[in-house]
Amino acid sequence: MKFLPLLWAGLWRKPTRTTLTLLSIVVAFILFGILSGIDAGFAQALEASRLDRLFTDPRFGAPMNISYADQIARVPGVAVVAPRRGMGGYYRDPKEGMGVIGIDERFFLLRPEITITKAQLATLRKTRTGAVVGVYLQNKYGWKVGDKIPLQTETPQVNGNKTWTFDIVGIVDDANYPGQAGWFLVNYAYLDEGSASGKGTIDRFLVRIKDADRAAQIGRQIDRLFANSAAPTRTSSEKSRSQAGLQFIGDVNIFTHAIVGAVFFMLLFVTGNTMLQSIRERVPEFAVLKTSGFTDNAVLWLVIAESLLLCLMAAVLGLVLAKVAIPITRPAIEDYVTLLQTGWADTLRGFGLALVVALISSLYPAWQVRRLSIVTALSRR
Amino acid sequence: MNAVRQIVAVTIIGLRAIPQRLGASLVVIVGMAGVVAVTISILSMATGFMHTIRSSGRADRVIVLSRNAQYEFASSITRENALAIADAPGLGRAADGKPIVSAEALTAILVTKKSNGLDFYMVLRGIGPEGLALRPEIKLTRGRMFRPATHELIVGKSAQSEFEGLEVGDKVSLPDGDWTVTGSFESGGSGTESELLSDSETLLSGLRANAFKSMTVMLARPDDFERFKAALSTNPALVVDTLHETDYLANQAKQLNGFLTVVAYLVGGIMGLGALFGALNTLYSAVSTRSVEIATLRVFGFGAAAILTSVLAEALLLSLLGAAIGAFAAWAAFNGNLHSAGSLVFRLTVTPALMGEGIGLACGLGLLGGLLPALRAARVPVAVALRAS
Repeated sequence: MKFLPLLWAGLWRKPTRTTLTLLSIVVAFILFGILSGIDAGFAQALEASRLDRLFTDPRFGAPMNISYADQIARVPGVAVVAPRRGMGGYYRDPKEGMGVIGIDERFFLLRPEITITKAQLATLRKTRTGAVVGVYLQNKYGWKVGDKIPLQTETPQVNGNKTWTFDIVGIVDDANYPGQAGWFLVNYAYLDEGSASGKGTIDRFLVRIKDADRAAQIGRQIDRLFANSAAPTRTSSEKSRSQAGLQFIGDVNIFTHAIVGAVFFMLLFVTGNTMLQSIRERVPEFAVLKTSGFTDNAVLWLVIAESLLLCLMAAVLGLVLAKVAIPITRPAIEDYVTLLQTGWADTLRGFGLALVVALISSLYPAWQVRRLSIVTALSRR
Repeated sequence: MNAVRQIVAVTIIGLRAIPQRLGASLVVIVGMAGVVAVTISILSMATGFMHTIRSSGRADRVIVLSRNAQYEFASSITRENALAIADAPGLGRAADGKPIVSAEALTAILVTKKSNGLDFYMVLRGIGPEGLALRPEIKLTRGRMFRPATHELIVGKSAQSEFEGLEVGDKVSLPDGDWTVTGSFESGGSGTESELLSDSETLLSGLRANAFKSMTVMLARPDDFERFKAALSTNPALVVDTLHETDYLANQAKQLNGFLTVVAYLVGGIMGLGALFGALNTLYSAVSTRSVEIATLRVFGFGAAAILTSVLAEALLLSLLGAAIGAFAAWAAFNGNLHSAGSLVFRLTVTPALMGEGIGLACGLGLLGGLLPALRAARVPVAVALRAS
């Protein structure tokens, strides 16, 4: 610690050079921070999708019958089956499409991440036209409990009217994506009775199974039940659906990993070069240090410590700036992947990287200083 | 004239000394190479993707969807609608006088990607009798065309190469039984190459459906669009949206394209900033090591402009070299690579324009990074610099 002033003085010998080098490294860590955020968002999307939650969907688009639910429930290994029926619509702006999902209470057993209370559930059950909406929609449209919401849809009611009106009975959030829940959940019974056509149809069964390892097997068993019916099904786990859905983003993500690699490889050049230049100018100073009793290893460590100080300072600055930049960048890509704030693990990895860059880039200069002979160094004057 | 000779002479002196400052110069070269390679390769995804989308569209083709349907699957066109649309003015006509229109049925079938075993939905499109006249870009490359009223379909080349079970002779399962793949086609790398094609009436009955999803028509001339659109919107029996095929496709691709572009410019921009600092650093140190040399030149009568230009030339040359390496690396590594978003297959495309854009960016950064050091060099106080040695 007592050498800190010495290191500090050495580091800022040429302020322009050190500042510019520092900024290069800071920029690399900003990039590292932001890309870590994308990485985390991607991982979260995969984690939030579960292997023990299966989706049974129509294989060719023809909707399934509600009676499938009982048949699926009898398949060994199935714990809960929740039918749902969706309806596309919009509120005021036709370009801002919204999915209305008709459900019953079983839905919440399948999606425990939806934070619904017993009281909200009871009100929804009592209110035929009730709707439970996510906080995202609440904020977007300024809705509150008690509001009557007219939605334009493509699904005509029995009287031919395509405008459905719902009463908001509760606002919920999504534990996996706090603040981003866009759910619009209504009573299946109301949707089914109110629609002019498609009585008793279901567009997806959510199936909770007891043993996640048997997902593929149970999926095949379910599909076999309806293989020769008018509406064959396709069942697979939510996880495999997400993997397929996120495959392209995943490819981009692999790509960004390569970028981080390239950037830090470039950093080795930048810091290595700076250290080398700085050491070259200070050859006589190091000779004086050695004369005054510093051992060869001590000067070696001095150089390495100087490089470490530079890289760690830059890492701290860069990671802090990344934290600031992430909320600003988020809206630009939120349609594709959630950009998460960096956590402790990322910070630690960042410091690890700083350590590696500092060590590798200072190794050669430090070695040169260690080998320095006092006589030749001082006689150069 | 004299000034030009001076600039050339000083620049050559400066450039000859670069090998002595190899380490520092490498910082600029490697930095610029990195920025250019990364920006170009991400943008090549966007370019390839947009190329596939755009080449699928033609100025004289128009797609008709039911009102407010944002995409084909959400749309529905009844037989009566289809007849009314085919009667509208402005349509191109085949040799036999029939309007070149195609009412299309759509379904999605599940296919497994060869590279990762994941399942994706792929579009099976039923086209009308004039469907091929409407899309002259479709060329059968293997096997034969499907025949109407039989369970037959043909498959796009991209779809065939990336997904399992789509070889000629393979069976594809549909609600009314197995359909046979009788041939494969290419269509100049357009999005259709990621689809399956069959006869629309046969597909409709196979799906037990009655209405088509969309209607695509060819205009006699691209200018006939307004006339055609007006005719549809004044027909009280039709509640439809009429869109240029190019606009429809661009709209479908907007989101993904936006994402890629944002990522490319975000990452490229941040890296560019880093490279800018690197260039500044290198050139400041170059100027600083050359201060005696520069002062001597000034004593000999070389002007400040000549010194300034020589530093800028060095910055530009190093950046250009780095950018060229980066652009070439991106081209060699990625150009033509097949990629897919969902079931849409496209090729990464590193176009000359894209390479030019990358190189231009690097040169701009290099000049910017050279400017301040160049000014410092031009203002080196002669006496101070010479005394320092």
